Parts: sequence; structure tokens; C-alpha cells
Amino acid sequence: MTPPPTTTLDVRLVELVDRLLNRGVVLTGEATISVAGVDLVYLGLSVVLSSVDNIRRAGVDV
Amino acid sequence: MKLLLRAIVAELDAGIAADQGLRTVTAGSVAALASPWETRGVATEADLLDHHRRIQAIFERAPCLPARFGSVFADEDALRRKLVDREPILAEQLVRVGHRCELAITCAWRDGGATAPVESVPASSGRAYLERGRQRARVEGAREQRAGEIAARLLAELAIESAFVRHRTCPRPGVAVSMSALVTRDEIDEMSSRVVRLGAELSDVTTVVQGPWPPYTFAVSE
Repeated sequence: MTPPPTTTLDVRLVELVDRLLNRGVVLTGEATISVAGVDLVYLGLSVVLSSVDNIRRAGVDV
Repeated sequence: MKLLLRAIVAELDAGIAADQGLRTVTAGSVAALASPWETRGVATEADLLDHHRRIQAIFERAPCLPARFGSVFADEDALRRKLVDREPILAEQLVRVGHRCELAITCAWRDGGATAPVESVPASSGRAYLERGRQRARVEGAREQRAGEIAARLLAELAIESAFVRHRTCPRPGVAVSMSALVTRDEIDEMSSRVVRLGAELSDVTTVVQGPWPPYTFAVSE
């Protein structure tokens, strides 16, 4: 099980990723892409949390 | 060519992102800004953050409604058909929230929100198992109550119209409150200062303010 975020950076990343994946205007397209191999329809919190590690490894600054 | 939707802007602002390689599709008073998307079904985390950066760049130039990441259209005609269907509500939302900024306020438990002491020892009997469940429920209930108190203090401090603030308590492990506040650009510094000031008084949580972001939480299509 993915551990909860514990650092301020984790909190920042998860909050942003949550909004990118779960908020915003939806104009349903003819295809839905997935993130890291998981369809967005099935993306849950665990994927969002695990994404944090990948984003950090990529050295991406947000 | 497939297109990945980035944001909705007013038709008058349709040309603002031409230098970023975005395609523009218009319908009445609104325009959709989208990026060419290769024929692939899987995105990376970098693509996700690139989505944010592109929307942020649009938002710095004109009011916009950010698009949720992930909608791909076969071509401009397919995007236009969807845009036409939603044009009235998108136009109304653009006027109402498109120029406002989202501040993301997060209060994270300083102790991580751990309930480990309750679960660390295996139950030796059915009674112990039930007692553990009750104890866990008490701990979680106390967390919920405290998170509610924190949210109430934040709401009082911000004093924002209820339509422009959303929050969740204990939305995930480690987080007491996740709040989104919709403010004008003129209000950003004042609102951020209020939250930081209150956060300094809250000893059991770390308070983080992010933004200004495009109004992700307040842009919906239904």
C-alpha cells in the first residue's frame, strides 16, 4: 500500500495532481488517455500518490 | 490529427496562444485551445505537469476554464461538435470564474495522521478485535472532528462567498483539510497572508498555500 505523503513537497504535488486529474472542464473526447499505463477512468488516489514518486524522480519542479 | 484539450477561452482571446503551437477551435462566443496529440494512449507524469504549465501560461494571458487532463479528440471537427453542445454553459462559466484564481490550501497532520498504534499488535481474540475497531473509530472520529474545526476556522478567516470556496476534510491519509478558494488577482496576497497567519496558530497541522492556479476546482461542464 502506498504510504501517505509526509513532506510538504508531497502535499504540494498530490494537491496539484488531484486537480489535474479530477477537476476542470470535461468535454468528453473520443478517446481517454491514461497516465503511467492506467486509464484515467480507473485512476484513484493510489495512482495519484504513486505518481508523486515518479514526478520527484523526474526532478520536476512545481 | 488528434487533439488534447487544454482550456476554454473567450472567442475574442482565441489567438493568445498561437505562439505555443496550440490549435484553436471556436463555437459561438468560446474557443477551445488544444495541442496536437500523438497516437498513443498512455501519458507520463511529465505530460501531466506539462498540461498544468500550458494552462497556466494561457491563464496568465486571458481568463480561461482549465480542462481536466485526458480528453483527446479525433480532429478539430470532433472537438467543435462537443464545444457547440456546451457553448452556453461554458460561456456563462467563463464570465463567472474564468478571471478568478484558485488558491489551494492544505492542512496536513504534523504526525502524518497515523493510526498505527491502534493496529500494530495483532488481535488475540474476537473481543480484542472488536475493541480495536472501536478504538480506531474513536481515533478517526476525533480526527474528523478536529479537521472540521480547522476547516471552520479557515472559512471564517477567508470570509469568501460560499460559491467560491470548496473543501474536504480528511480526504486522504495525512491530510486534515483540502480547500480551494476562488479569489481575484487583487485578493491573492491578502488571502494568502490570512491563511499563513492562521496556519501559524494551528499546532497540529502544517498549512500549505499554493497558487494562484487557474480555477480547476470551479470549472465544470455540467
